Amino acid sequence: MTRPRRPLIGLAVFAFVIGIGTFLVVINGGHNTHRGAYAGLTLAIGWGFTGTGLYVWRRRPGNNIGPLMTAVGFSGFLKALAFSNDSVVFTIGSLGEVLIYAVLVHLLLSFPSGRLESRLDRLLVAVGYFNTIVIQLAAFVFADPAKEGCALCPANPLLITHSHAARVMSAAQLDIAVALLGAVVAVLYRRWRGGTPSQGRAFAPVVAVGSLTFVVLMTALIAEQADLSSNVAYVLSLALFGSIACLPVAFLLGLLRSRFSQAEAISSLVGQIGGGGGRGALREALAEALGDPSLQVAYWVPDQGAYVDTEGRPMRLDPPPEGKIATTIEHEGRRVAAIVHAAELEERRELVRTVGAAAAMTLRNERLDAELRAKVTELQASRYRIVQAGYEQRRRLERDLHDGAQQRLMALGINLRLVRDLIAREPEQAVELLGASLHELGEATAELRELARGIHPAVLTNRGLEAAIKGLASRSPVPVEVLETPEDRLPSSIESAVYFVVAEALTNAARYARAHRVTVSVVRHNGNVHVEVSDDGVGGADVEHGSGLRGLQDRVAALEGRLELASAAGEGTVLRARIPCG
Amino acid sequence: MAKTVLIVDDHPSFRASARRMLEADGYEVVGEAEDGGAALVAAQQLRPELVLLDVRLPDVDGFEVAKRLLDASGPAPQIVLISSHDSADLGEAVGASGARGFVPKSELSAEAIALLIR
Repeated sequence: MTRPRRPLIGLAVFAFVIGIGTFLVVINGGHNTHRGAYAGLTLAIGWGFTGTGLYVWRRRPGNNIGPLMTAVGFSGFLKALAFSNDSVVFTIGSLGEVLIYAVLVHLLLSFPSGRLESRLDRLLVAVGYFNTIVIQLAAFVFADPAKEGCALCPANPLLITHSHAARVMSAAQLDIAVALLGAVVAVLYRRWRGGTPSQGRAFAPVVAVGSLTFVVLMTALIAEQADLSSNVAYVLSLALFGSIACLPVAFLLGLLRSRFSQAEAISSLVGQIGGGGGRGALREALAEALGDPSLQVAYWVPDQGAYVDTEGRPMRLDPPPEGKIATTIEHEGRRVAAIVHAAELEERRELVRTVGAAAAMTLRNERLDAELRAKVTELQASRYRIVQAGYEQRRRLERDLHDGAQQRLMALGINLRLVRDLIAREPEQAVELLGASLHELGEATAELRELARGIHPAVLTNRGLEAAIKGLASRSPVPVEVLETPEDRLPSSIESAVYFVVAEALTNAARYARAHRVTVSVVRHNGNVHVEVSDDGVGGADVEHGSGLRGLQDRVAALEGRLELASAAGEGTVLRARIPCG
Repeated sequence: MAKTVLIVDDHPSFRASARRMLEADGYEVVGEAEDGGAALVAAQQLRPELVLLDVRLPDVDGFEVAKRLLDASGPAPQIVLISSHDSADLGEAVGASGARGFVPKSELSAEAIALLIR
């Protein structure tokens, strides 16, 4: 993120000049009393807010708090223009006189994230702006300052006609303001109580001074309605401006405190994780340290190339969940975990990394734990699938036997009994029937042979992978080129897995991929057997869909191997298997 | 007059052998059906006196077909159930189906059928 340094310096110079200007306007204002005090407070508020605001703006460019504080400062200067003797400047000041309160409401409800998080917040802020801009203007065009008891005020150039409507609208404006301020104080209080302890400590000064300001403002507004003596009104407005002037200090203090509590959070984090506390304790500690109760920890499992949670269940972080950000934590240059935290913490990613680094050792240990749990979960699932696949296979076998060879043998039995009955009486018909029976027997034998090969190919046992794969290739309806096969025999479990990988890939190429050509290679390299079957078909295959590939994956995984499928739509399919082989 | 027969089995070579065997013994095979649905339609049209009915069919099982054949309007055919399983595998379902009886396919002959429908 770039830091808008230049424009900020420009704004600071502008605020300085405008501060001097408004100071002179107030001190020379002909229609007000206590000008010295007001001039001083105007400077304190205007410079206090613009100065602090621009500082925060520079330090946290992504956060709206800086710009909002600066806006409060400038609306303080705007308000002071109402002291002017010049009719135009006076009018501008009078129109913008109460805008500062709406911006203050906006600022306090946005603290500390800089965003209005809830619908209620946005509603309150909208009401504030409506009340201080629209109603203010509407009332002003019907108010003649001279007839409102300010004989020394300059003329109102926007005056349409002096009307009772001005009074009615001003009274409504006051009622709305009092209700709004009450609601804002309640929201602030609830927010302060609802945060984590460290958040609460950072919020406390801002919430306290902010609420005090609004309570004083409410009192002043109610007093204005009650038409109290000018002395009481003066004291109340001094108190009001005084507490507004204190607000920037409260914001600074809040920011300072949040920095101190970061340091404390890290030391408490280190203390907590040192003491153990079992699964999930680290997550709790991190959530407390970073002030994000919804924080999650995702552990990186290099074998699976994926993240898992504390229970070893897979977690998808690409993309991260709605409104969340994942910050990767490394230990000794290797990815260990990711902290999944609220997007509000984005501009404090450094802090997340710092806290993560402090916890990296523990994260590494918990990662191993989570990895183990992930492995157990996967093993349980694959064990279930293997049992299920075995059951499925036996069922299919029974059905194939029943529908195929068994039916043919039954028919053969009937034929032979018929031959026995016919042979004496009608030898010609019997011979014809014997021919049909022999054909039936041939078919039954072929079906049995095919079935037996599906269970375990004898050629593989007797003559090895090369002969078995060439046999598969010659029976494939799609032309197959066998590029390479190992010369030496491999352990039978590995030969069998390789054979079925090739068989499944060839079946899929012919049945689904509409391929024209397939190449097969089986290479032994660096203690692994690498199988690769690629076709030029339509692609789009997926391990998750199709029990054949899933079953192969389990078969390969049972030998500590890995099965990979690359099958983008329109780009053919490549099935690769790597199986460790002593 | 020769007895009319409908053969219900999903395997064509078995149907062919059964037809040869029955015709050699003087039956008249009026139709063949490869599943339960086709069997019910054929029985309605052809009105066979005997239905040779496989228990394991691709759509509904043979017991259900037997029940529907016997429940249908018009003269009910005699039914002989056949299967490549033996009778122990099928249990009491044969008796409950209303069929005349059951012959394992491995023992199927004209005499075995004649014993059941006489």
